[in-house]
Amino acid sequence: MVSRVLRGRLLLDHIGPTYTEVLKRQMESSASGAQDRLINKVIDKGLCVACGACVGLCPYFHYFDGKVLAMARCSRDTGRCVEICPLIDRGDIALDKMTSDVMNTPEIGPYKKIIMACSLDKEINEKAQYGGVVSSLITYALGKDIIRSAILTDAGDGYAPAGTVARSRSDVIGCAGSRYTASAGLEALNMAIKTGEQKLGIVGLPCQMEALTRMRHMGSDGENRANSIVLKIGLFCTWALDYRSLFADLRNRGLREPILKCDIPPPPAGVFQICTRDGWREFPLNDIRPFIKKGCSLCQDMTAEWSDISVGAIEGIDEWNTVVLRTDLGLRLMEQATEDGVVKVDDLPKKNLMHLAEASFNKKERGRLTRGEIR
Amino acid sequence: MKGISQRSGDIHLLLQGNEAIARGALEAGVVFCAGYPGNPSSEIIETLAEAARDLPIYVEWSVNEKVAVEAATAASFTGCRAIVVMKQNGINVALDFLTNLTLSGTRAGLVLVTCDDPSGISSTNEEDARIFARIIDAPLLEPTTPQEALVMTTWAFELSEKIENIVMIRSVSRLSHTRTRVLINELPSFDPRPHFDTGLSFHTFPVVAKHKMRHEKLDLARVLFEKSSFNHYEGAVRPELLIVSSGCAWTYVTEAVDILELSDRVGTLKLGTTWPLPKGFLKKHLAKCDRVLFVEDVDPFLEDNVKSFGADICMEIGPKEYMGKASGHTPSCGEQTPASILRVLGRLFSVDWQDHAFMDKVSPIVKDIAPPREFGLCPGCPHRGSYYAIKTALAWDDRDGFVSGDIGCYTMGIWPTGFNQVKSVHAMGSGLGLASGYGKLDRFGFHQPVVTVCGDSTFFHAAIPALINAKFNGADVLLLILDNSATAMTGFQPHPGTGKTAMGTKTDPVDMEALCRSLKVDVEVADPYDMLSTAKIIYRNMQQKGPRVLILRRKCALVEGRERGFPYKMRVDQDLCLGEECGCDRYCLRIFRCPGLVWDKHAQKAKIDGVICVGCGICSDICPQRAILREERE
Ligand SMILES: Cc1cc2nc3c(=O)[nH]c(=O)nc-3n(C[C@H](O)[C@H](O)[C@H](O)COP(=O)(O)OP(=O)(O)OC[C@H]3O[C@@H](n4cnc5c(N)ncnc54)[C@H](O)[C@@H]3O)c2cc1C
Ligand code: SF4
Ligand code: SF4
Repeated sequence: MVSRVLRGRLLLDHIGPTYTEVLKRQMESSASGAQDRLINKVIDKGLCVACGACVGLCPYFHYFDGKVLAMARCSRDTGRCVEICPLIDRGDIALDKMTSDVMNTPEIGPYKKIIMACSLDKEINEKAQYGGVVSSLITYALGKDIIRSAILTDAGDGYAPAGTVARSRSDVIGCAGSRYTASAGLEALNMAIKTGEQKLGIVGLPCQMEALTRMRHMGSDGENRANSIVLKIGLFCTWALDYRSLFADLRNRGLREPILKCDIPPPPAGVFQICTRDGWREFPLNDIRPFIKKGCSLCQDMTAEWSDISVGAIEGIDEWNTVVLRTDLGLRLMEQATEDGVVKVDDLPKKNLMHLAEASFNKKERGRLTRGEIR
Repeated sequence: MKGISQRSGDIHLLLQGNEAIARGALEAGVVFCAGYPGNPSSEIIETLAEAARDLPIYVEWSVNEKVAVEAATAASFTGCRAIVVMKQNGINVALDFLTNLTLSGTRAGLVLVTCDDPSGISSTNEEDARIFARIIDAPLLEPTTPQEALVMTTWAFELSEKIENIVMIRSVSRLSHTRTRVLINELPSFDPRPHFDTGLSFHTFPVVAKHKMRHEKLDLARVLFEKSSFNHYEGAVRPELLIVSSGCAWTYVTEAVDILELSDRVGTLKLGTTWPLPKGFLKKHLAKCDRVLFVEDVDPFLEDNVKSFGADICMEIGPKEYMGKASGHTPSCGEQTPASILRVLGRLFSVDWQDHAFMDKVSPIVKDIAPPREFGLCPGCPHRGSYYAIKTALAWDDRDGFVSGDIGCYTMGIWPTGFNQVKSVHAMGSGLGLASGYGKLDRFGFHQPVVTVCGDSTFFHAAIPALINAKFNGADVLLLILDNSATAMTGFQPHPGTGKTAMGTKTDPVDMEALCRSLKVDVEVADPYDMLSTAKIIYRNMQQKGPRVLILRRKCALVEGRERGFPYKMRVDQDLCLGEECGCDRYCLRIFRCPGLVWDKHAQKAKIDGVICVGCGICSDICPQRAILREERE
C-alpha cells in the first residue's frame, strides 16, 4: 500500500496537541477572585454597559476612549467592583424602594408626581437636548448650595465623552445635550469622592442610578460614599451605544468629528441624527442597532427608577421634558425652581403618560426575556 | 606605562581572560581592533581601547559585527594585523562576509575572537560558534586558561599570516571573565605601513578553485596543529577511559579527575586546536583505549568530528565506545560544570563523591537565605516607565495588541518586571522585521495592533533595514525606540548616537530622528517617565496607519545616577496607603514592581527601601492613593 504521505497527505491530524498546548494545559489556573468574577461574568461576556461605577475605585479598571477596561489583575477574594456592578445579579440585597406615600406602578416605578416641564433659561434651551430641565435644575441646585458640584457627562475632547465634575453654570451648559454612547460617568464620581468632595449632585442613566443604590450596600465605605451624594437626576433610556464600534463605522461613512449634537426622534422616525460642522446627517436606526451595548438588552429600567427626579423626552413636544418626581427632595426642588422662575411646568397629556407606561413596560418585558436567554 | 599596555615583558599580571586575549593581540603587534559589544566579549575591545591611549593602535566599536569584520579585514588587506571581537550571536551577523572572506583569503594576520555564552547567561541563545569554523573552513583555537588565551592569540596572528586566512579563537564566559596570574611578554614595536598592493586582488572567483585553495590552507594548518603544544595528553599509558576535551571544560575535567583520584585510570586529551583536527596526534591517543568520553561546552563539536574521524580509521584503531552528548552521558545543552563532570565520572567509575551529610545540613539553610529572584529592571529604569505606558496603551486599545521585542535590557519585557508585554524576541533588529510582517497581514483580516520596541544601539545595528522595509512596503508599524543613550546591557559602550567613539574621540552623533524623517516616517519624542502622557501618545499612534516612530527618551538610570543623580527622596505615607485593601491590593508591589518598593510586614503597608530606591519618583504617579510621596532632595 502506498503510504498517505506518498499520496501527498500530511499526517498532522494524528500528532495530537502541539508542544505549546501541552505546556499551557499544565499551567492553567483557576481564576476565582472578586475581579475575576466581574471580568468573567460581565466584561469578557461583552455585557459591560460602561456605567463607570467600578472605575476609579481602584487602579485595576480604566475608562478610556469609550470603553471600560481591566488593566491588571487584582488578587482579592472580595471587592467593591462586583458589589456595585449593575450587571451582576444580586438577590442578596433588597434595593430599598421608596417611601410610603407614593404611587408605585409596575411600569414607571415609584413616584409622587409626573409632569411636563421646560427651562426658562434661554442659553440652556439653546444647548439642551429637549426642555433643558436637567441642566436648569442642576444649575439651580448649585446656585442654592443644595449641591456643591455635579457629576455630569461631557462632550468628549478628542476622545469619547466621559464623566466630569461641574461646579459652575458654564460647566453645566458645557455638558448639556445627550451623548447616546455609554460614557462611564460614574468614574468622575469616584474621583470626586477620592478628593473629598461632599454634597454632590449627579445626572445619569438608569444603570448608573441603580449602581448608586448598590453603592450604599457596598464594602467598607459604601454608606459614606452614598452619603456624599444629595441629588440624583436620572435620564430615561432605552439603550446606549458603544462608542468605539459606532464611531469606527460612522467615520467609515465619512462622518467627521467633533459631534455637536445627536438626536433620536421618537417613532416612527426611525433615524439617528448627528450634527457636525458639516451639518446634520441622518442614519437609519437599523444601521445603528448593531452598536447598541449588549448589556442594555438585559436592562429592565427605562425611567431611572432609583433617582430623585427622572427626566425624558415627550413625543411630539420637542421643547419640553417628561419629568417624574419620585422623592420628597425631587418634589421640593421642582417646586422651588418653578417658584423662582427657573422652569415652567404643565400637566403631562394622558396620551403621553400612556405611551410612556407602555414603552417602559415593553423594556421590562424585553429585559426579562433576554435575561433568561443570556444568563 | 603600566598594566595592559606596558612594553616590557617577563612579569606577571592579574588578568581576566578577555584582558589576556587583548594583551596577546598587542604582543602580536595588532594595530586595528574592531568589535560590537556583547557579553561576554566586551572587555576585549574595552581593554584595547584603553591601551590605545598609550600605544599607536586604532580601536573602534563598529555599528555591527559584519561591519566590524569588514573594517578589520581592510587593515589585513593593507598589511596591518587586525583583531575583530564579538559574542556568539555576532558570528551570525558577520557570517555572510566570513564565508566569502575565507575564499578570497587575507594578508596580514587577522584573528576573529568569539566569546560564547554557554547557558545563555546574558544572551538570547547558547549558540556554539565553533561550528562556523567548519562552515567557513577557518582554523579554530580554543584556549583553556587566560595564560593560554594570551599565547594562543599571539600565535593565531602567525598562523593567519602563514595560511593567508582568518583564524578563529573561541572563548566562553568562564574563561573570558576568570582572572588569574598571567605571564606577559614584551611588546613589539608598532610600525604599520599600510599599503594595498594593487598587484593582488581579494575575491572569490573562480569559486571552485578558491574553495580548493581554502581546503589546502586548512591542511597547512593541520600540519602545524599536529605538533602544537596547545594539544597534550596526560594520564596512564593504557587508561581505562580516554577523556577528550577542550576549552574551559578541560579544567573541570582535571579537577574532577583529581577529586575522584582517577589519574591512574583515565587519560585526558586536551585539544587546543579543534579545527581542523590534528589527526595523527588524535589517532595515536585514540588507539590507547576502547572507551572515549567527550567533555565540551554546548554542542558536540569535538565529539562529532572525532567520531567521524574514528569511523574513517576504525580498521586501524578498532571499534570504540564513544560517550558524550549523543549517548546521554553528558548534558546535551547548557554549560558544563565541575559537578556535571563529577557526576559522569562518578557513575562510570562507581565513586560516590557527594558528602551527603554536608548536603543535608546545608541545603535547607541555603533555601531559606537565598530567596527566589526574578529578572528585574533597575530602580529608576526608564524601560519600566516605557513598558508601563505600553501596557496601559495596549489595554486601553483592547484589540489584543502585543509587543514585538528586541535585544537589550528591555528584552526583560518578557518578564513581570516589564509587565510581560513582550511576546517575541530573537535577533538584533528582528522586532521591527517581524512587525513589518505583521503590518502587512491586515489584508487577511489581522487587526491586532503591534508595537515594536528597539534600543538605540540596536536601532543602528540592524533595525534600519527593517524600517526601510516597512517604509518601502507600506507596512503599518509603530516602532518605539527606547533611547536610553547607552548600550546599557553590555556595559555602556558608546554607539553612533552617543557622539563618542571607543577611543573617546568626539564625533558628530547620528541623529535618529533626522534619519527617520529622511525616510518620511513620522517621528515623535516622548518621556517614558511621564507614563500617562506617553500612553496616550502610543494609543493615538496605534490608531494610525503606515510606519511611525516614537522615541521614548530618558537616560539609563545607572548613567543618570552617576552623572547628575535623581531629584527625589521618596516616602510612603502609610496613613494613606491602602496596602492589601480593596482599592489597591498592593498595586505598586504586585503590578508596578519597582524593587525600590517593599512590603512593610509589620504595618501591612508599602514602604520605600531607601537603599534601593534611586528617587526617580515615577511610582508616585501609579499609586491610587497618592500615598507615595516625592520630596525634593536637598
Ligand atoms: C444614552 C441615552 C439614552 C436616552 N434614551 C432616551 C429615551 O429612550 N427616551 C427618552 O425619553 N429620553 C432618553 N434619553 C434622555 C434624553 O435624551 C434627555 O437627556 C433628557 O430628556 C433630558 O433632557 P434635557 O433637555 O433636560 O437635557 P439637558 O439639559 O441637555 O441635559 C442632559 C444631561 O445629560 C447628561 N448626559 C449626556 N449624555 C449622557 C450619557 N451618555 N450618559 C449619562 N448622562 C449623559 C449630561 O451630563 C447633561 O447634564 C436618553 C439619554 C441618553 C444619554
Ligand atoms: S503605596 Fe499606594 S500602590 Fe502601594 S500599596 Fe500603598 S496604596 Fe497601594
Ligand atoms: S522613586 Fe519609586 S519607581 Fe523610582 S526607584 Fe524609587 S521606588 Fe522605584
